[in-house]
Amino acid sequence: MSEYQHISNIITSRKHLVEDLPKRPCFETVAEGGCGVTGFACSIPVRGKHIFEPSRQMHNRGNGRGGGIAAMGFDYRMLGVSEDILEKDYILQIALLEDGVLDELERLFIKPFFKVDFSEALPHVEDYRDIPGLDVRPPDVWRFFVRVKPDVLKAFVDKNGFAALSQRQAEDEFVFQNSFKINKMFYEAAGRQRAFVLSHGRNFFILKIVGYAEKVVQYYKLDDFKAHIWIAHQRYPTKGRVWHPAGAHPFVGLNEALVHNGDFANYHSVAEYLRQKNLYPQFLTDTEVSALLFDLYSRTYGYPLEYVIEALAPTMERDFDKLPEEKQKIYRAIQTSHIHGSPDGPWFFIIARNNTENDRLELIGITDTAMLRPQVFALHDGQVQVGLVCSEKQAIDATLKSLSEEDPRVGTVADRYWNARGGSYTDGGAFVFGLEKNGSALERRLTCADKFGSIVSVPQDQIPYLPGRVYYMMEDEYRCRFDISRFFDLQIPDLLFAYVKDGIRLWDYADLMDCLKEIRAWALKGDAHFDVALKALTLLLDRRYPTYDKKRRSVVQMIGQTLDAMFRSFPSLMTQGEKGAYRKIDWETREFFRGPVYNEKVLIIDGSLFPPEGDNCDSRLMSEAYLRGWRRFIVFGLKGQRFHGCGFGPDSGGVRVDIYGSSGDYLASGIDGMTVHVHGNAQDQLGQIIKSGRLVIHGDVGQTFMYGAKGGEVYVMGNAAGRPLINAAGNPRVVINGTCLDYLAESFMAGDPLNGGGFVILNGVEFDNDGNIIPLETPYPGSNLFSLASGGAIFVRDPYRLIDDQQLNGGEVLQLKQRDWELILPMLEENERLFGISIENDLLMVKGERKNPLEVYRKVRPKQKDDISKDGLEEWED
Amino acid sequence: MNNSVKFRFPGVVKTPSRFRNPIGKYRLNRTEACEACGKCVEICPYGVHVIRRGKLYIENPHLCVGPDCPNPCYEACPVKALSFGKNPVFDLLGDFRWTPDLLASTWHMAETGSVPSAGLEYKAGASGGGFDKLRIVMKQGSTGLAEISDDDIDVTVQLNRRDDNAHRVSIEVPFYGGGMSYGSVSINTILSRIKAAKALGTFCCTGEGGYPDELKPYADHVITQVATGLFGVREETIKRVKIVEFKYAQGAKPGLGGHLLGDKVTPGVARMRGAVVGYPLFSPFPFHSVYSVEDHKKHVDWIKAINPQALVSVKVSTPTDVDMVAVGSYYAGAHIIHLDGSYGGTGAAPEIAKKNIAMPIEYAVPKVHRFLVEEGVRDKVTVIAGGGVRTPHDVAKIIALGADGVCTGTADLVALECIRCHNCESGRGCARGIATTDPELMELMQHDWGTRRLVNMFLAWKKELTRILKRLGMTSIRELVGRSDCLVHLDYIKSKE
Repeated sequence: MSEYQHISNIITSRKHLVEDLPKRPCFETVAEGGCGVTGFACSIPVRGKHIFEPSRQMHNRGNGRGGGIAAMGFDYRMLGVSEDILEKDYILQIALLEDGVLDELERLFIKPFFKVDFSEALPHVEDYRDIPGLDVRPPDVWRFFVRVKPDVLKAFVDKNGFAALSQRQAEDEFVFQNSFKINKMFYEAAGRQRAFVLSHGRNFFILKIVGYAEKVVQYYKLDDFKAHIWIAHQRYPTKGRVWHPAGAHPFVGLNEALVHNGDFANYHSVAEYLRQKNLYPQFLTDTEVSALLFDLYSRTYGYPLEYVIEALAPTMERDFDKLPEEKQKIYRAIQTSHIHGSPDGPWFFIIARNNTENDRLELIGITDTAMLRPQVFALHDGQVQVGLVCSEKQAIDATLKSLSEEDPRVGTVADRYWNARGGSYTDGGAFVFGLEKNGSALERRLTCADKFGSIVSVPQDQIPYLPGRVYYMMEDEYRCRFDISRFFDLQIPDLLFAYVKDGIRLWDYADLMDCLKEIRAWALKGDAHFDVALKALTLLLDRRYPTYDKKRRSVVQMIGQTLDAMFRSFPSLMTQGEKGAYRKIDWETREFFRGPVYNEKVLIIDGSLFPPEGDNCDSRLMSEAYLRGWRRFIVFGLKGQRFHGCGFGPDSGGVRVDIYGSSGDYLASGIDGMTVHVHGNAQDQLGQIIKSGRLVIHGDVGQTFMYGAKGGEVYVMGNAAGRPLINAAGNPRVVINGTCLDYLAESFMAGDPLNGGGFVILNGVEFDNDGNIIPLETPYPGSNLFSLASGGAIFVRDPYRLIDDQQLNGGEVLQLKQRDWELILPMLEENERLFGISIENDLLMVKGERKNPLEVYRKVRPKQKDDISKDGLEEWED
Repeated sequence: MNNSVKFRFPGVVKTPSRFRNPIGKYRLNRTEACEACGKCVEICPYGVHVIRRGKLYIENPHLCVGPDCPNPCYEACPVKALSFGKNPVFDLLGDFRWTPDLLASTWHMAETGSVPSAGLEYKAGASGGGFDKLRIVMKQGSTGLAEISDDDIDVTVQLNRRDDNAHRVSIEVPFYGGGMSYGSVSINTILSRIKAAKALGTFCCTGEGGYPDELKPYADHVITQVATGLFGVREETIKRVKIVEFKYAQGAKPGLGGHLLGDKVTPGVARMRGAVVGYPLFSPFPFHSVYSVEDHKKHVDWIKAINPQALVSVKVSTPTDVDMVAVGSYYAGAHIIHLDGSYGGTGAAPEIAKKNIAMPIEYAVPKVHRFLVEEGVRDKVTVIAGGGVRTPHDVAKIIALGADGVCTGTADLVALECIRCHNCESGRGCARGIATTDPELMELMQHDWGTRRLVNMFLAWKKELTRILKRLGMTSIRELVGRSDCLVHLDYIKSKE
């Protein structure tokens, strides 16, 4: 008997389940659609209500026709079972779509095989219509805590030749097959649908409804139910009439719940592939097959997670070549065996997995090789650790905010935010948050690692801020402690910034808080003072500087709160008799809307309660305000509201917009003349078709940045995600200080940069934890740089000549000329002013040595025309 | 629309060919024997012959209907000086889809404003599939609504059926002009189409090459396109229009994106698109910002943020899941679903793509129609079908299959005397000065002439559609929507009975 016989035994044992099922000539999904996904893992169990806010804020990624959540890692006391039962039993959760079906189901599939330790009907809200927006009655759900009866299991093992499997593995397989039988009998995708299995793994469950995901929490009364990991999914099925939620995510393999954003192009072939392994999709969605694939690789084949990820999102092209030889060998074998099961097309998975063998709970995010779906990861370290992964950064911020309102140990800002690079040699396009037991099952330790096991960490010697603490202070001490009046009297915000920045070294959090309070008090004394405070605090928010023993996230959180409080203190447009330059508008006072009078100059928009899009959104209000004469805007309190800066029309020069908070997609798209500053990370699709104007992003920026741009001057402090500047034409001029995931400036058509055309400067540097500039490992890790471009250029800071021909497709790398340097120097100077990234001390410094710019930068431009025809792109020759 | 003034269509202005020798199906010969008696001028119903200063000329040989002529000159000629034969050039024209007859009949309509009375098969082509296998069933012997005036037959189409605050837009004829970009065709071609659209109370799409300033006077009749290359898309152009069209794919070449070959990128085109002269321009196949339906919704929301009153049209090709795409687009806020079938496409679309990728439009339209009806949203969305609509009969057929209206493309070019030589992509050299950006070739055609030709053709279409409706006993084009029982497929007609 071969070493791997047991694998084929498992596969063979499933044969009788599927052989009588119809062979579909073509596997088709019953409905298609996109989605929004969110998930987080927390070192302590937290309440279900915290999945509520991020789900709600991603309504626009779903349409309320399917939502689901999975919760994993429970406090046994909340379930009415002992700790032992919770750990060892399978939680079989069944959705009943017809009355009276339960008895039959129990008689046929539960009582004969399982020892039921506990069972109950899930409590729910009496009348679903009490929950606004819920139109379809969610199914009644019955929950069983079960173990397979020993004699049943023994017969199962004997019959199928599972002697090589452990008891637990055999039991897992039994549960899996039994659920398949239940679904087969009680749920036919095309026929009668009476009941189906929601989940059957250990220490987690899934619930789904026809409606938005957060209504699950409300309907099944999970607000106060605690779990370590929560994932949620807003579904956007294109088919309108849905009467039951079986097609909603998450889907289950055995011990994993999977949600998915995207769409497979090769659903049929994946389904065919699974059929060869005697697996048969029963719910006809691509998410279901994803869960089955994951389970097949991880449980049946027993692959370690790294290989499972490789089988799903294969490493390709240059990334493959960059792998160590040993890995190449294994990956090649995986790809050879499983490429037909590899989902093709845009997808992003979030998986909650109970790694029962290693007694570990895991939250996994995997992106496809081409990175076609948006994804953001974040890590929050401290006494309470949280790992988060979402479709949009704003959902991460919403989760943290919700958590911090309950537990002050959680901050509203994460320590790190980042994107995965799909199918790459750098991070593998996947990150895993693992929760390991730390003393008890309820106090776990969270670690984060990428596909290859490299740990993602944050500085360990810094302490976070705890707002709950009370600080005592003498009355007179307060007044003289901070000598900041001169900054306000002399109007020098830069020095105030430096004062606080230096102060952080010696102060504790209480001092910093007091200082910020003092600044705030000064700011309220008049517009001139406010300007100083605003500039200084904005610098504190935007710039990177050492925070010593304090966590940067805590400092940022405190500054952000101070700014918000300052903004909120301004009078609304309905207040009479105010003479200041600043006016505020928010959702409540939006009706009192008018143009500026007297010397009113700045409209502060409190975006917090506005909807993210549509006729009543704040960006619409802003463009309306522009028509009424406002020219200067500050927007704060955002929760992913979209389209700021859109709709102003041509020639909006002289307008300036400052954006604070979790800004949303499509920001500054189509602007023509105005200046927009984003204070913090930005989301996806920024600056599309931007024509002219200035866009400054004090952080990272998301996918398809400046798609189809025609011009504009743009500065990005950090990284851009996938596909920046695709199809840009005209004369956009862009500085990206970090790097991009891939596909930078594909089909770039921006003329001759030396002759008024456009270009990108890619600096390939980052800030370390102390705010120093350090070079990235490589200025550009992707396999596609400037592909098929016909105009423009990319200037890369590449002192070690790391950009190679393999990354280019139709481009060529040239030595920088003095003329080029003169072209980019003014941009770099402005970059220095904006972000404090010095040309002399940072960019031209290589290993401590000041170099000639012509040696540090390189130019990538399109291959000259006759070269293209030699490239074999011409199909016919005369 | 009750309080609005009834739309007045322009009259037909006879607009002959701009070339000296228009191509006709038949060729008449006059021998020396002619005595210039003038008999032929007298009896010819089509004005083929003219007499000038005592000499006879065959002025309009292309109007000759040959053997179909009820009053043939070649028989009546007292000296037998006239004989006719088939024009040998004629059969070299066109292809199975656009047969020489269809080309000539379209030219005829563009010249005279009515369908040819005889001599040409103007209803269908010879492709052996698609519309050419479908026939409209008129009740034998029934005269339909012959007594009703043509003016009382309603052929308008309401484009905005959502109850939202977007413009209420309706078109006076059940068709509008599909996208052809500045760059792929000349500015004169664009102007002709747009001015004809204005005259007929309908729309014309700019394609993805931007919105040239020359079109500003006709802003209320322009559809601007947001296509995957985002060429020429600017906020001001989006703000200016009533309808914004998202082009996700073209039926003629789905999955291939757009391409404008280097030769066509003249300085004017390069300026408009912000590109480099002489370099080919690619539109990617997908929108890089839209890989999923929620992205699409976001995309639509974006356009609505720029122009809240704009109607949104979503142009998609016809994959097998086109029904899902349609309903998804509707839920994302689209007013118009524009299905682009695979029969269209100019010479620039690769032949292999044109014929082999997407689902035939006559399958896609009923599939979408039925799905939307089942979903209960059919009356909330306008379905426009396009791609290979050549004749008024094609219009009627596709509407009977479930569309509300159609989108025209190649037919417009044929009206402008395109001869379907399939060389659109070859540099600037459109021999007829239509699909060119070359400043010299462009001058081959003036837009006033082009406008008149198009107006004539579409008036002929409208007249023919009205006739069909009356024959079917319908007073409104809306009654025809989805009435596939009015059609037969020639392959199945026998087994049915």
